[in-house]
Amino acid sequence: MSSLNRDTFVAIVLLLVCGGLYVASLEIREPDYGQLSPATWPRMIIGIVAFLSMIYLVQSIRRGPDEKDDEKSWEGFGAFLAQWRNVLWVFALFLGYLLALPWVGMLLGGAAFVFLLLTVLGPLSGRDMLIHLVIALVTVGGMWLLFTHGLGVILPRGELTGI
Amino acid sequence: MVLDNLLLAFAEIGSIQTLLLMIVGVGAGLLAGSVPGFTIAMAVVLTLPFTFSMPPAQGLATMISVLVGGLSGGLMSGILTGIPGTPSSVATTFDGFPLARKGEPGFALGLGVWSSFFGGMISAVLLVLFAPQLARIGLEFQPWDFFMLVIFALTVTASLAGQNLIKGLIAGALGLLIRTVGEDEAVGVGRFDFGSDYLLSGFDFIAVLIGLFAFSQLLSDVKDRSSAQQALTDTGDVRVRIEHVRALKELAKRWVVVVRSAFIGMFTGILPGAGGSIANILAYDQAKKSSKEPERFGKGNPEGVIAPEASNNAVEGGALTPLMALGIPGDVTAAIMLGALLIHDIVPSPSFISEEPVLAYSIFIAFFAANFIMLGMQSVMLRVFVLVTRIRMYMLAAVILGLASIGVFALNNVADDIWTLLWFGILGFFMRQFGFPLAPMILGVVLGNIAELNLSRALAISTDYTLFFTRPWALFFFIIAIFSAVFPLFQQARAEGKKWVRFYAPALLTCISLPLFMMGGAVRPGLALLCLCLAAFLGYRAFRSASAPA
Repeated sequence: MSSLNRDTFVAIVLLLVCGGLYVASLEIREPDYGQLSPATWPRMIIGIVAFLSMIYLVQSIRRGPDEKDDEKSWEGFGAFLAQWRNVLWVFALFLGYLLALPWVGMLLGGAAFVFLLLTVLGPLSGRDMLIHLVIALVTVGGMWLLFTHGLGVILPRGELTGI
Repeated sequence: MVLDNLLLAFAEIGSIQTLLLMIVGVGAGLLAGSVPGFTIAMAVVLTLPFTFSMPPAQGLATMISVLVGGLSGGLMSGILTGIPGTPSSVATTFDGFPLARKGEPGFALGLGVWSSFFGGMISAVLLVLFAPQLARIGLEFQPWDFFMLVIFALTVTASLAGQNLIKGLIAGALGLLIRTVGEDEAVGVGRFDFGSDYLLSGFDFIAVLIGLFAFSQLLSDVKDRSSAQQALTDTGDVRVRIEHVRALKELAKRWVVVVRSAFIGMFTGILPGAGGSIANILAYDQAKKSSKEPERFGKGNPEGVIAPEASNNAVEGGALTPLMALGIPGDVTAAIMLGALLIHDIVPSPSFISEEPVLAYSIFIAFFAANFIMLGMQSVMLRVFVLVTRIRMYMLAAVILGLASIGVFALNNVADDIWTLLWFGILGFFMRQFGFPLAPMILGVVLGNIAELNLSRALAISTDYTLFFTRPWALFFFIIAIFSAVFPLFQQARAEGKKWVRFYAPALLTCISLPLFMMGGAVRPGLALLCLCLAAFLGYRAFRSASAPA
């Protein structure tokens, strides 16, 4: 496996996706009307992606393995977590925010998301946390006011909080 | 009638509310353009959800303001810090920063601001003149021609691909594929829904755009822990007064540079895929080549500031021309503008200007007005710019993510769109990490439905596939699509000094003369003849230089 590079894996994933989508396209219902079948256009694109992915695969194999880079090499799971810490936090907190949205609503959920994100990405002193809290409340609160009262958009209310 | 529509458009744009929104838009654009790491496209795409509840003219005016502000904003950081705020202002730093370092930052900023203004105004005039003419031609198009036109626009992905052509093309095709998820617009049959209502309703493409462009960019910006906690730039204590009068006097002396650069910007903008990032370098290069003192370039020559700034502001007038006239975006930001029109149920097409004259004139007026507002706002935003650059990156990212989620929800009042934002943010982030350019994908997302709908319409009229290659306009677009697709190879071969590149232009001219002949009448066959003569001349020259001993 070490003789392969990152692009090879991406190309293989793309080819697998194309295969999966082609199989899924066989499930598309054929209506009795219309000249262009609803499956034709997606299949054309799948064909193009598959063709380009094949070229990409060949190119990546011909290029050979990735050069060892001390900075990029992952030494175990801990190093992986350390390298991608911020990104994983953003994903996790955004996911949590979305899952909590029906329960806590957009105002509190949004403010909590921004506050927590600021806290995990930024420094952790008491003063910084206070600044983060103010930023979260002012920005999300301001936006919430703008949308609900200024633009008349009803933002999601939380079942638990009622706001 | 024209006057009535014009007055109505003035009333739309001239309202206090719209003007205030435009001022805010220009201010936001100036900031977004000035902050390195933020792109104009990102600023425009983040503005989209806010415009949803506005009337179309007001929403578009706001977006145009962000765009015009963004195009001008890059000069602030470029001149004061030496770091271009956007790729469109790279060349501005070549002479703007040295001029500022010589102790003349106010003069350099004045040159940049006024060049941006005149560049924008010249392109606005050209947009008003050209777009209706182009639209008149577009009225001749039938679905076959439109389909081929979209295919041509999609070949732009090749130009947007940058270093890796294959990755760019894959990204563009994936963009097309994303738009096939959900109900087919022509016959209403579900596709790739896997039994999920969320997938059946399809992805809201604005949420997709924000996820791909903004979310993934912010993730990339905070990826590194230490750089996320740093301020954007350390500009120190900047107290600058823009020297307007002196800059205007300088511009009056060098008006040829302003006009030439604006034309370069305008026509670069019309060319699909070639945006401000190319225009500013081209204009700088031309200014240097035609200067009597080329050795002064790079050392604080005023022309080195005037040329890139006049050209990059003129680009958007060019990019908006095919959008207004044909419904085909000239670049990514124009593609997002197309998205803005679509969320207001307005589908730009050749009949857009005649069917929606008030809206079309509103766009023209907004383009003019935004340039004036930009002029007035620069001094104010300069102070804000200094403050914003002191904000740490993670703060900006967290706040923008939180606000983007609210804005995305407001698009359709469904939480599913925020999920779309997350999924496409993740996808965009990984694509960036693996070196896939996102601009082609955006184009694919925007143009996917238009291509399929026109293919469907064409086949509903006739199942004769040869019409895609025998109708003059369809053939015309097919030919330029092929030449456009191989253009990156042409550029690469030219850099390597390959001889065949000399025959690229003659071959293109010869090929397009065929559909022009087929169009009939007097003018177009005349043009075809002209193309053939030019092709013969260029071909002869190319042949002679190719056969000449090295």
